[in-house]
Amino acid sequence: MEGYLIAISISVLIYLLMASGLALQYGFTGLVNFGHVGFFAIGSYTSALLALKGVPIPVSLAAATALAALAAYPLGMISLRLGGDYLAIVTLGFSEAVRMTLQTEEWLTRGMHGLPGIPRLFAGWVDPRMIDFCIFLLLLAVCAVVFLLIHHIIRSPFGRVIEAIRDNEVAVRALGKNPAQFKTRSLMIGAGIAGLAGGLQAHYLTFISPEQYVPLITFYIWIALVLGGVGSLRGVVIGTVLLVGFLEGSRFLRDVFTGVSEVQLASVRIWIIGMALICVVLYRPQGLFGKSSRRSN
Amino acid sequence: MMKQPYNLSRRAFLVSGTAAAGLGALPGQSFAQGERVFRLGALNSITGIGGPYGPYMLEAIKLAVAEVNAAGGAAGRKFQLFAEDDQTKPEAAVLAVKKLVEINKVEAVVGIWASSVGLATMPITNDANLITMNTCGAPEMLTENKKGLAWMFQASNAIFGNAFAEVARRRGFKRPAVMAFNNSTFVGQANYFKSAWEANGGKVSAFVIYEPNQSSYRTELARVLASKPDVISLSAYRPDATIILKEWYQSGQDCKFIMPGWTANEDLVKALGKEATEGLISISNVAAEQHPAFKRFAAEFKTITKREPDIFAAQCYDMVITLALALEAAGAQADVAAINGQIRTVTGTGGTKANSFVEGRDILRKGQKVDYDGASSRLEFGKHGETVPDFGVFDIQDGRLVLKETIPGQLPA
Repeated sequence: MEGYLIAISISVLIYLLMASGLALQYGFTGLVNFGHVGFFAIGSYTSALLALKGVPIPVSLAAATALAALAAYPLGMISLRLGGDYLAIVTLGFSEAVRMTLQTEEWLTRGMHGLPGIPRLFAGWVDPRMIDFCIFLLLLAVCAVVFLLIHHIIRSPFGRVIEAIRDNEVAVRALGKNPAQFKTRSLMIGAGIAGLAGGLQAHYLTFISPEQYVPLITFYIWIALVLGGVGSLRGVVIGTVLLVGFLEGSRFLRDVFTGVSEVQLASVRIWIIGMALICVVLYRPQGLFGKSSRRSN
Repeated sequence: MMKQPYNLSRRAFLVSGTAAAGLGALPGQSFAQGERVFRLGALNSITGIGGPYGPYMLEAIKLAVAEVNAAGGAAGRKFQLFAEDDQTKPEAAVLAVKKLVEINKVEAVVGIWASSVGLATMPITNDANLITMNTCGAPEMLTENKKGLAWMFQASNAIFGNAFAEVARRRGFKRPAVMAFNNSTFVGQANYFKSAWEANGGKVSAFVIYEPNQSSYRTELARVLASKPDVISLSAYRPDATIILKEWYQSGQDCKFIMPGWTANEDLVKALGKEATEGLISISNVAAEQHPAFKRFAAEFKTITKREPDIFAAQCYDMVITLALALEAAGAQADVAAINGQIRTVTGTGGTKANSFVEGRDILRKGQKVDYDGASSRLEFGKHGETVPDFGVFDIQDGRLVLKETIPGQLPA
């Protein structure tokens, strides 16, 4: 039982890490990033490939974070001069381009065969039965640090500018600030966090393949954000817990409703998430913990 | 402020939601108290790319479990089944298998279909010392099977690719082209076809890997057909094969296809009609088609699902029966390692042939060795837990599969 709870918690924390990156980008800066999974994938593969070459895991995780952040830089330069919807299209295209690259560059990534046997975190350091628990503690610590970091960022002058960009970009420009520069930085920080999440997941699962990095993951993160409320760190946590709760909780429905077949249950899972999303949008458009828009009327 | 028109139904929603949550607190059904059961996990791809196959694999598992339990269980232990959907995704599979291990406390996991799922869950099942049985085709499954607890009921894609090339050679084709769905199994199959063909000095006229989930494959098909192949080795699943063959038929170009049996079968004929499927060459390791175990299984499967079983369903059926015979041979008090040790023994050559659980059990009770020949193949496991089945080569003629020859499966040289 504990092992399963730890596995779920690890899943929640990895999603949470990704969601906090997106929260910084969308919730606080207003960047519509539909390609979050692309940065996650870059992080996973960077860390996995380096670790397979014998690089120590902490170093490869740092490289994963850095490379994911760097990948966001040209993307920002190209698209942040354009309006918000264009960024959505460009980022979605970017994440698919990343996935295609992972699939086709077999010399590097082994393509669709995936990368098996990625070194596990803490392997050889602690009792094998305790590894999952240690990974859980590590993720908890990483999430705490990232949340503190984001909290700090949004309280800083930089944070006030990005929030101002979200609420009224024209006004920010009128004040003599260059929104593109701030947006690029916000995009890079969020991407770096996603990259770190990817690296940690690779060293937890020990097997990755390009099929894991489909746009659906991006939209799961978006669902978590919308459920919990954008622009609130508390909302991010609640949204992520709810999302994984819906995804995983449906497994236990069958233990109660014995007449339901596995096929029906699979549809129920998607249905529950869809209904929850519709209900939130109808009754609490700002999300469970979101603040109502600060946009001046 | 705009009036919200849904206030009343919100109350209704809350009430019904609370009621549903309350139902959740009711205890689940209890099973065979006091009797020592064998807790069996089924991890199937119910949704995702495996969707066309997973639900029927689970049906086959249920069928076999019912058969074993109707006979009084294996070594007196009845099977209790816990089924989970892996969504054909490694990360979902990890959580599903953790649930099976931690909460349902299963002793074996059967029905794993995708190689990505098999590779992602193997570290967990190995740590927990669980027997796993799968239909994965990736050769890495053999190298990652470090504890010898995993059993591959499907031929690896190396063996499949080799068999495809062998059939193309025997039929006298000169210019084969390769077209494959982009996943680990099929890309592997395509690569092994190419290397097996080129090892004999031949050349592949075109080699195209296509991205799945498209509404049309015209571009990819045009590239293949432009090379004027006399046969196309098409490694595909049913949804994409249906579109590709339809578009090929419309093109009017003459050429043959060699396809895996889980795609080129009666369901494909139903989707495409007899004309478009006439002359397709279908290869599968249901060389046991004429075999009593397969005939009996197929008949029972058909009464439940109203359709013919595919190879994966037959393999899943064999998984449970093999496991049950191993348990019977190891005895009621045996631990997982002892049961695992019997799997090779109850399927290996040299024993008295058995085609069902009851037959095998009765032979074991007489103190003799048993050799279970399954519904999917003769089931002789190699040293890494792999099967090397014989392949049946079928032609689709007038909408029916007609067995033309049987060729021995072999690993590429």
